[in-house]
Amino acid sequence: MIRMEQKVTRLPVGRVARPQKKKRRGGIDAIFLVLVLVLLCIGLVMMFSASYASAYYYEGNSFFYITKQLQFALIGLAGMFFLSVLDYHIFHRLVVPIFIGTTGLLILPRLMAPIAGVYRWIYIPGVGTFQPTEIAKFALVICFAHIVSLNYKRIKEVRYGLVPFLLVIGTFLAITLGLQRHVSASIILFTMAACLMIIGGSNKKWLLAGVAMAIALGAVLVFFTDFLQHVMPRIEGWIDPFSDVQGSTYQTAQSLIAIGSGGLMGLGPGNSKQKYLYIPEPQNDFVFAVVCEELGWVGATLIILLFALLVWRGFVIAMRAGDKFGSMIAVGITLQLAIQTLLNIAVVTNTFPNTGISLPFFSYGGTALCMLLGEMGVVLSVSREAVLQKAQN
Amino acid sequence: MARGPSKSMNRWSLIVLIFLMLGFVILSGRLFYLQVVDHDFYQKQAIDYQTREATLSAKRGTIYDSNMKVLAQSATVTTITLSPNDIKNEEQRDLIVRELSRILELDEDKVREMSRKNTYYVEVKKQVERTVADEVRQFARENELGCIGYVESSKRYYPYGNFLSHVLGFTGSDNQGLAGIEAYYDKYLQGKSGRLVKAKTAKNGDMPVDYETVYEAQDGYSLVLTVDEVVQHFLEKHLAAAVKEHSVANRGTGIVMNVKTGEILGMAVKDDYDPNQPFVIADEEVRKAIEEIEDDEERRSQLQTAQEHQWRNKAISDTYEPGSVFKIVTASAALEEKVVTPDSGFVCEGSIEVVERKIGCWRTSGHGPVSFMQGVKYSCNPVFITVGLRLGPSLFSQYFEAFGLTERTGIDLPGEAGSIYVSEERMGSVELASCSMGQSNSVTPIQMITAVATAINGGYLVQPHIVKQVLDSDGNIIESFDTHVKRQVISEETSATVSELLFHAVNDADGGGKNAYVRGYRIGGKSGTGEKLGKEEDLYVASFLGFAPADDPEIAVFIVLDEAHSYSIYGSVLAAPAVANIMGDVLPYLGIEPQYTEEEMEGLDVTVPDTIGISPNSAIARLNAENLKARIVGEGDRVLAQVPEAGQPLPTESTVILYTEENPEDIYGEVPDVQGLTIAQANQAMTNAGFNVRLSGITNHSQSVLCINQSLESGSKALKGTVITLEFRDSAGGE
Repeated sequence: MIRMEQKVTRLPVGRVARPQKKKRRGGIDAIFLVLVLVLLCIGLVMMFSASYASAYYYEGNSFFYITKQLQFALIGLAGMFFLSVLDYHIFHRLVVPIFIGTTGLLILPRLMAPIAGVYRWIYIPGVGTFQPTEIAKFALVICFAHIVSLNYKRIKEVRYGLVPFLLVIGTFLAITLGLQRHVSASIILFTMAACLMIIGGSNKKWLLAGVAMAIALGAVLVFFTDFLQHVMPRIEGWIDPFSDVQGSTYQTAQSLIAIGSGGLMGLGPGNSKQKYLYIPEPQNDFVFAVVCEELGWVGATLIILLFALLVWRGFVIAMRAGDKFGSMIAVGITLQLAIQTLLNIAVVTNTFPNTGISLPFFSYGGTALCMLLGEMGVVLSVSREAVLQKAQN
Repeated sequence: MARGPSKSMNRWSLIVLIFLMLGFVILSGRLFYLQVVDHDFYQKQAIDYQTREATLSAKRGTIYDSNMKVLAQSATVTTITLSPNDIKNEEQRDLIVRELSRILELDEDKVREMSRKNTYYVEVKKQVERTVADEVRQFARENELGCIGYVESSKRYYPYGNFLSHVLGFTGSDNQGLAGIEAYYDKYLQGKSGRLVKAKTAKNGDMPVDYETVYEAQDGYSLVLTVDEVVQHFLEKHLAAAVKEHSVANRGTGIVMNVKTGEILGMAVKDDYDPNQPFVIADEEVRKAIEEIEDDEERRSQLQTAQEHQWRNKAISDTYEPGSVFKIVTASAALEEKVVTPDSGFVCEGSIEVVERKIGCWRTSGHGPVSFMQGVKYSCNPVFITVGLRLGPSLFSQYFEAFGLTERTGIDLPGEAGSIYVSEERMGSVELASCSMGQSNSVTPIQMITAVATAINGGYLVQPHIVKQVLDSDGNIIESFDTHVKRQVISEETSATVSELLFHAVNDADGGGKNAYVRGYRIGGKSGTGEKLGKEEDLYVASFLGFAPADDPEIAVFIVLDEAHSYSIYGSVLAAPAVANIMGDVLPYLGIEPQYTEEEMEGLDVTVPDTIGISPNSAIARLNAENLKARIVGEGDRVLAQVPEAGQPLPTESTVILYTEENPEDIYGEVPDVQGLTIAQANQAMTNAGFNVRLSGITNHSQSVLCINQSLESGSKALKGTVITLEFRDSAGGE
């Protein structure tokens, strides 16, 4: 294995030789799987509860959203099991196509008609719309895992430990920020990149400098240019969510009312009142507000606990993965899930300015759910080679 | 293990994991803050957003007269509302605009404008009657229009229009009492409105869940007044006639009161207004004048002044100098303090000197030597000034206060005014002289009648009241208001003497109040003519206060005419006949039986007997038996027709014309004009024209008693023998 790594040191990014011998592949991690399935079930039920009023009002059918979501969930589960069986090392060889393909997909919306006023979505007839940034997050994980697994020994060197990373994240951010002006996706990508570099062993000084620069750049863009002009009102609305309840802060205010009125024990499953057209699109980003209203603080915290357990389990899989590539993939995917969950709940509770981040397993969105379940399949695939019990060691 | 993650990687993974877990903990804490700590705040916000509250208006109580006739009643009306944002398309808008404006009789453009507002709620029309609202409902149902809404409330109806308006008052658009009984007893009448709390969606639709809380409305209590609708009717009729006849400029007011209990049987102000539309100025001239004012602000202010003026209950809210009616109080005090007896002697020289100031009697030639009783009958100023001075400022003021004239009577109506009076300290002889005859001090009519009631009812000051009972919505008596005697002011004996003196003032031929005479009833009373000071022209308040029966007074009637413009200024001439007319109608209604003197029996009605078909001679005999005379026309041996017909009432000594031939000629006569003639002259003229006469009013044959009214107009044709009623009053009366 050491030899192999040495072989490929010439290339910061590039092809990897097939592993010399087949590793023993064990069973998938049942704990992770159960947590995924439990969260998926709760997510589907709560999405249905949150959506049926607006589905009835706007679509004339209470089951409009849940029917579609269930179909995608089934497809996603199939994909998950397929990927969990598939040897994840295949992504080693697919790194370059993934990177190039993702870059292309990120640029694609710019070439298509804008959807909802922004160039962030790709429309596929018959399936629906999806955001290529979802793929970019996965691509980022694969690329970084690849770089770490190849360059781990010289990771402190600029050529091996900084340039390849910057190439990937720089390309992605240039597009998401420059072309799409998609701040939330950029933040997630940047955070993921930073965390993965830290774990991957990059020099912490570079990271500190990078984070400082990113913050400075962000501040300049937001406060001194018109480049991100849609961000400033969101920040103002964040500071006082009741300043414009009939307008810009309506969604946040209604979300807070839903959460706050839920109280300790909640109004009971299905009993949300705010979902009756008060919260706009309660099936999407603000589904958790309805969860809080119906299940109360106790229920919401239990769900947060489930997420936390899943994240913990993902990290456990990563830390005991069979190789660095798998470890980085598991960490990366789990990290993405964790960051999305944290940011979504932070937005819903107005702990963070309002920005479009969906809640994994809960928010309506077919392609996103399929992606998520697929990624969970990849983590499960990693878990097959992880040493999860001391006895097995 | 070299292939797996390095120790460094796992350490950093752990650090990242810890940060992530910290994030979860922080968010859970944040949720705790929102959901548990700040729960009440958001709960309230949620309720504000999520619920729709409808007020269930309580039914306002009914106001009844003393015989449970409905005087004011509430009925359910509907406010038609529209949710413009729920109108689906232009076609639907056109339909709604067209039909709503047609059914509700509104301007189409206005409705269209409403329908274009960016809102979920506009009130299209308030207070729509049930039948009209039903029509709208049917229209909405047929066209499946969910955007039309209904809010039910109640509207006040006063079935008799202007009747009793100043006492009843009226209610505002929100069903709150604004004047009169409606305002004073608002808390009783209003009831407690209930609430309907209903969950709604953000688009104002109903939530599918059953979430509805009803707080039932509690209907208002009903009131039973002491006012008797019949008495009030007579009062209003005769007061209005007097106000019109004498061109009263500053309105007239009248009160009928039970002097023993303080119950108000009637209270009227003329002119009045319609409580069904209290904001409309009833006086058309005034209304037109205000409408023509161009300046908006000026018009509004004028309108407001006019409204407040027409709502003002003159009987309790306006003070005036009562003039000689007040002499009843002076007389009572003087008799009680024994500074005078009915037989005490005085000399009236037409004026009296008080501290070098000459105060005249209304009769400038003077009354000569008179007893106190005559002084009362003639309303002689020098007599009362002398008596007042004998009492002195201290006693006078004590009685003034004791008769309740320094305090409000406490009648259960809003806006009662207090009196303006000369206090004891500031009362010199001149002031005392003036006060003794009812000048200088200003009181309200209700204070005056209450004081007089005290003087004649045995000496007891009773609190006047207008509500007898409070009933709940099932008709159970919640509260009863009984007679409240505040104190005894004079002895029963003194009171009897006062009544006796006032009886003579009306019934003696030389009495100043003889215009208040009613045949068969023992009326007592006193007139008053208060001069209004500080006006450009000489203006007076003419009033008369009568009561009956004089030997045991029950009912007092008070008429006050403010600024009459007529052939006389005196209350005894202008106001007394109205009092007499009211007494003549009210006393029989109240079941007080007339008792005629022998003299009075003469002119009483008998029933005309049937003489058709019998011989003229037996007809004459039959008529004579009833104290009627007969005149036979024609030569026939049988009576074929008679005028007046059998069964008609006819005063004794009248003549019945008996026709004995077919087709008699000359059966009609022309009614002569007898107004302004004496009784003898009028009688002669009517008899000559072939008519019978029934006398009303004063019937003693004094030169100054003249006919003021005849029941058939002069110049009109009537069958000879017809009875024509003539009203006689003393036109030369003074105070």
